[in-house]
Amino acid sequence: MKKLALAGLLAVGLTGCSGSEEPKVLNLYNWSEYMPQEVLDRFTEETGIQVVYTTYDSNEAMYARLKLLDESAAYDLAVPSTYYVSKMRQEDLLMPIDRSKIEGFDNLDPELVNLDIDPENQYSVPYLWGTTGLAVDTADVEGEVTAWADLWDERFEGRVMLTNDMREVFHVGLRVLGYSGNSTDPQEIEEAYEKLTELMPSVRTFNSDAPRMPYLEGETDVGMIWNGEAVMGRDTLDSLEYVYPEEGIIAWLDSFVIPKNAKNPEAAHQFISFVLQPEISALISEEIGYATPNLAARDLLDDAVANDRASYPNATDMINAEFQTDIGDEALQVYAKYWEMLKSGQ
Amino acid sequence: MRSLTQQPFRAAVLVLVWGWLLFLVLTPNLLVVGASVMTRDPGSFISLPLTLDAYRQLLDPLYLEVFLHSLYMAAMTTLVCLLIGYPFAWALSKVGKRNQVLLIFLLIVPFWTNSLVRTYALKLILATNGLLNNGLMSLGVIDGPMQLLYTEGAVIIGLVYLLLPFMILPLYSVFEDLREDYLRASHDLGAGRLSTFIHVIVPLTLPGVLAGIMLVLLPAMGLFFVPDILGGSRNLLVGNVIKNQFLDARNWPFGAAASILLTLAMAFLMFAHRLSKRRIGEDGV
Repeated sequence: MKKLALAGLLAVGLTGCSGSEEPKVLNLYNWSEYMPQEVLDRFTEETGIQVVYTTYDSNEAMYARLKLLDESAAYDLAVPSTYYVSKMRQEDLLMPIDRSKIEGFDNLDPELVNLDIDPENQYSVPYLWGTTGLAVDTADVEGEVTAWADLWDERFEGRVMLTNDMREVFHVGLRVLGYSGNSTDPQEIEEAYEKLTELMPSVRTFNSDAPRMPYLEGETDVGMIWNGEAVMGRDTLDSLEYVYPEEGIIAWLDSFVIPKNAKNPEAAHQFISFVLQPEISALISEEIGYATPNLAARDLLDDAVANDRASYPNATDMINAEFQTDIGDEALQVYAKYWEMLKSGQ
Repeated sequence: MRSLTQQPFRAAVLVLVWGWLLFLVLTPNLLVVGASVMTRDPGSFISLPLTLDAYRQLLDPLYLEVFLHSLYMAAMTTLVCLLIGYPFAWALSKVGKRNQVLLIFLLIVPFWTNSLVRTYALKLILATNGLLNNGLMSLGVIDGPMQLLYTEGAVIIGLVYLLLPFMILPLYSVFEDLREDYLRASHDLGAGRLSTFIHVIVPLTLPGVLAGIMLVLLPAMGLFFVPDILGGSRNLLVGNVIKNQFLDARNWPFGAAASILLTLAMAFLMFAHRLSKRRIGEDGV
């Protein structure tokens, strides 16, 4: 019994790597499969700072952990998505970033800095940006799949995968109905829920841990995926294609932030500068398939990567694209309720 | 002399036990009860005033349905565990002492590996192009792969796999205590095998059956990572609802209330167990 309870705890990841007392440790809290091991190794080699790497698979989980562990200062660096940066900034969870200690900030794409989420980039430095679109295994799917609405097609019964992300799944439902993916209108959210219930018999699984896996395992043929996962998945499964749906893709920007009580902000600043080096940013983008906001790195990219529409969409791909925004707590509760209803299959 | 050396040891043990119970059992549970009657707060998770809103929310038909479905999957798990565990434990009590030690050891060995890791291993076996499907296909038993992963069945298989030892061990202990002369007496008095089984063996092993059910049924509703991994995040358990409320929806009072519901269900089962034990005690001897 105790053993099982313990395993349960491990599953939520309450192991809380507080690290040793030595100052030469950077506690990095990041999405799973979102940083090549090589980058961490090279950082340690160059600076002598050990990186303790812990992962999460949703913004919600990351936020809850940071908020809870605020006092214990368990993490020095985290990577929230777009709207969570503004949320955490407003709730005073973040430490201002000392720009004088950051090298290479000027390399960043002017279109991806000074956004509403953090107007002067006082608290965040963009890491990678990406999209959530359609994955199609062309070996098993006949005919074209061009829109989110195609997922509702009967021929895909039992073969569809969705990300295990409340906001993203509802984004799809809302867009198919012609609403904004950031809707806060309970009526629209309910309609999206009704629409999504029709999709549920087709849905085989939800996965935000490694969304490419169900396609590689042969469990699903079509559904949602993050673009970087599609790029990584293609290495094993040639027939996996990334499609920009007509209703518009879901876009997000993930940024480095330093939690307010970070034990080693110095190392956090060092790490951000390290990643901002064009060579390192290029390496990351090539390795894990997401787009770097670092323009100097874009020039260094391998042609195959730079011209890969999955990683670097062109202007037409981004028509109707929508960035996720903070919808506020009230709307969040509405989403949460319908999300649970959806997943318990009612 | 003896009492002098024993006294400090006894005191240390008592302090340890009471300290453990106080800080690691009572305090966390009180915190959960406390959280369940607070108001949900988006900023600091919970805040005053006190309210029973969380419990009212439990009555929502949505959660009732999740609870019932969870109970159904846990009951199926328990039934399968019982069907496998009962003959298993019986056989275990019949083999020689040396084999017994070995078999119990083998039963315990999987616990040396984290259950999360073992669940992932099960996923590799059940996948469409996994070991089981490939094996059966190469043997010609099936033509195409069966859909096993991400189904209700996969969740139940995972739960049975993780919880079976908890059914076998209490059953084994009652079978160990089952006295041969009772069976012989039953036989001498003219009872057949079936009749002996129904009227002698089943009543005498019932406490073990109930203990096994208790150890399997409730935990089966809480192992949220099994539906997450094997059920494709569908076929939710009460454990999933609790986890989602704490991590995703950030509704701590409700998560705490759902957790208390499970605790109460467990308490109810233990109460029933005690009652039945007393009755068996009265009738049996």
